Amino acid sequence: MNRTIPQFVFAAAAFVVISAPFAAEGAEGAGSPIYGVTIPDGYRDWPVVNVAHEAGDLNDLRVVLGNAIAMKAFRDGTLPFPDGTAIARLAWKSVPSAQNNAVFGREQSFVTGAPTNLELMVKDSKKYAMSGGWGFAQFTNGKPDDEALHQKCFPCHQPAKAHDFLFTQYAP
Amino acid sequence: MALHAPMRVLGAAGICAAIAVCVVCAAQTAIADPPAAGAEASPIYGVTMPAGYRDWQLISVGHLAGSSLDGSGGKLTQLRAQLGNDIAIKAMRAGTLPFPDGAIIAALHWNEVASDDNNKVLAGGFPGAGLQSSFAGPAVNVQFMVKDSKKYASTGGWGFADFKNGKPGDEALHKTCFPCHQPAKDRDFVFNHYAPTP
Repeated sequence: MNRTIPQFVFAAAAFVVISAPFAAEGAEGAGSPIYGVTIPDGYRDWPVVNVAHEAGDLNDLRVVLGNAIAMKAFRDGTLPFPDGTAIARLAWKSVPSAQNNAVFGREQSFVTGAPTNLELMVKDSKKYAMSGGWGFAQFTNGKPDDEALHQKCFPCHQPAKAHDFLFTQYAP
Repeated sequence: MALHAPMRVLGAAGICAAIAVCVVCAAQTAIADPPAAGAEASPIYGVTMPAGYRDWQLISVGHLAGSSLDGSGGKLTQLRAQLGNDIAIKAMRAGTLPFPDGAIIAALHWNEVASDDNNKVLAGGFPGAGLQSSFAGPAVNVQFMVKDSKKYASTGGWGFADFKNGKPGDEALHKTCFPCHQPAKDRDFVFNHYAPTP
């Protein structure tokens, strides 16, 4: 019985020590206007949902990555997406690859150039009840873009309402 | 994950051991890890599809447009993603050359599909920008490069593989892998560069 208290104290102390560093994770930097979405730690390591190419003025290459909750939902076809889902859209300028085109003998290979911006969608059905359960964010050079831009996120995603406001579908 | 260790073993042990390992690993995979793990190996190199490669981290994406590579005269438009296992990603980020043994790079290729839904939205959101959106549609093939400096000493330390619908391509195709990668010799025969994090 004498050992019960010290063990409890040790466990509590350990909890404080272990949990303290994690509390700060994901909270670095400023959040997006309206939604307060911050850049999630380690998002660059998430698996690929799909890739895309926008021709025209944007001329970029894009990839959509998902956290573990998002990937499971995509693969299971779960709609709406569960709370905790986070989806990141990364985009880069599309540039011709001199090295690759030397192999093909003509300009037909395009690779990623400079990064353009990062967009995020984070599901929290209570917190973001007014916008389909999604919090939106766009970051350029690690800084959130302005409120005017963020006001367009949810209206622009209306055509994808049947897919829980997500345009992206899982690539086989 | 279950495949990483067997992949390393494949290099160290001989072909006999490799076959034994593959049998064991296939049996384990069937129970523990249903996503794509092929038992069929590529000609020349004997590279199999690593389990769980679809979950690997992103190296970069690409777009290939032009005439079909098979000489049929048809059009080709593909979207591509290169993924790496932990060893490959670590080396990519650190700029380590040559890539260490155990590095595996997967190149996923899809036919590009125009997105009418996206185009409607983009036309409204960015009037006059002429934006045309496309995304990855049906899968074309998946290619792998597996680093084992001893086993593949005659091909720059890389074993190559090209799979369509889980089946490896023929020997003639695989004979073209290493010669075609010569222009990237100063980057350990890897064309892809790590895409910076936005």
